[in-house]
Amino acid sequence: MVSLSGDIDLQQSPKAREVLLAAVGQGDPVVVDLSGVDYIDSSGVASLVEAFQLAKRGGVAFSLAAVHPSALRVLQLARLDRVFTIHEQVADGL
Amino acid sequence: MSQAPAPDADDYEGAFALLAEMTQGFARSAPLEETLRSALDSIVGHVGAESGSLWLEEAATKDLVCLASVGKNTIAGMRLAAGEGIVGKAVRERVCQAVFDVSQHPDFAQRIDDASGETTRSMLCSPMVFADRVVGAISLINKRAGDGRFQESDSSLLRVLASSAGLAIANAQLATAQVENETVRREVALAAEIQRSLLPERKPPPFPICGVNHPARTVSGDFFDILPLSRGRIAFCLGDVSGKGMNAALLMAKTASLYRCLARDAASPGVLLARLNDELCETATLGMFVTMVAGVLDVSRGFLRLANAGHEPPLLRSRAGEVVALDADAPPVGIIPGTPFPERDADLEGGVLYVFSDGLTEAGTATGEAFGSEGLVSLIARFADLSLGERVDAIAAEAGRLDLRDDLTLLAVSDEYRGDGDTPA
Repeated sequence: MVSLSGDIDLQQSPKAREVLLAAVGQGDPVVVDLSGVDYIDSSGVASLVEAFQLAKRGGVAFSLAAVHPSALRVLQLARLDRVFTIHEQVADGL
Repeated sequence: MSQAPAPDADDYEGAFALLAEMTQGFARSAPLEETLRSALDSIVGHVGAESGSLWLEEAATKDLVCLASVGKNTIAGMRLAAGEGIVGKAVRERVCQAVFDVSQHPDFAQRIDDASGETTRSMLCSPMVFADRVVGAISLINKRAGDGRFQESDSSLLRVLASSAGLAIANAQLATAQVENETVRREVALAAEIQRSLLPERKPPPFPICGVNHPARTVSGDFFDILPLSRGRIAFCLGDVSGKGMNAALLMAKTASLYRCLARDAASPGVLLARLNDELCETATLGMFVTMVAGVLDVSRGFLRLANAGHEPPLLRSRAGEVVALDADAPPVGIIPGTPFPERDADLEGGVLYVFSDGLTEAGTATGEAFGSEGLVSLIARFADLSLGERVDAIAAEAGRLDLRDDLTLLAVSDEYRGDGDTPA
């Protein structure tokens, strides 16, 4: 499981990206706990998409969990809720 | 180092003359390498050493590379790893090294002697430092006079000369960096010009579709296109590539070109986005995708067919001024191959569809707040009486007036001119 927190914006997303890609690289199923993230911008979304694509390529299960309503709104607006598997609770994804 | 005898007036005079000659040499616009080689020659001669070499630190590797040498065999081009040899020690510690018997010195790099064909006994090596940065070192081998030891006065002189050479080298490196920056700047400007050429030319009313694009930097990750089809229909699209900078600009160019290729033959906007998506997914860079709206306007009926791939909802403003947002029905293109892109139909009935990138709604206002779609709605109302072209320009100029953080693109698809004149071919 990977927990991200704070705003994932242009400044923070490179670090989030690094954490996400490293987690996917381990090869075990990845559940991203987003309960601590109340703001995500397009660069943060791009990092999540990149990790998702890398996971898909490597046959690694990848899902998001406990997405804060405002971050969920961003994902829904771009219809990325149809791309990511999203669990209401972190426990649901484990 | 032995106790140095006090230098006489001739020594000083000679040293000053050498410094003046070197400084003048550096001030001339001759190639730096040539100037340094001749400076090294003069230093070796003046100090009375058997040979010498000048080393530059390579920025990327921190290796020391021999730029010039005086002696039996040239060692120019030879490379020392960071910290290797007595030269490396001088650079690492930033202190002039004077060694009487190198055979007893733990740092001595024998391979330099193997290459130069000389036998080093004594050595004097000074780092060249400029503005707290080591640029390299000058090394002198085997003092000819006396017992072969370099004197304190030799060391002082070499340090001064090394400073002068260091300044000249740092200057030359800055000049090179400036030229490289200028080259990059020119290439980015050329890329921006190509990008602009990918955008369609504006047509005057009654042509019903009109767009504007303001890049936040030189190049843009946004694009739009307008393409007249057969039977009085016009295809249009607006896209926004994830990320910023040159990689986004390149993906923009690729997507815009693919759109042009596919739009003429695609049966409908949804089919077009599906094909575009599959093409992009085949050669995609992970994490890069495009949010995009594609549509076709049947001009004579004011009828619109639209597909939205994860893009900011376009606003449909009726003739009476009511605004409806058209949410995306599918994710962005370039993420999952085989994604279907549902379509929706709309009768414009004299109204206008505004498609825009989030650079417009996220642009800053005077209070530091994002403009938002409410801001856009009020701007549309404010400029409603202008012609379509004037209106999109006014909205874009107003929204981008204060703080443009992202590329700003706006496309208006209008049914206001229906029946006003010739329908476009």
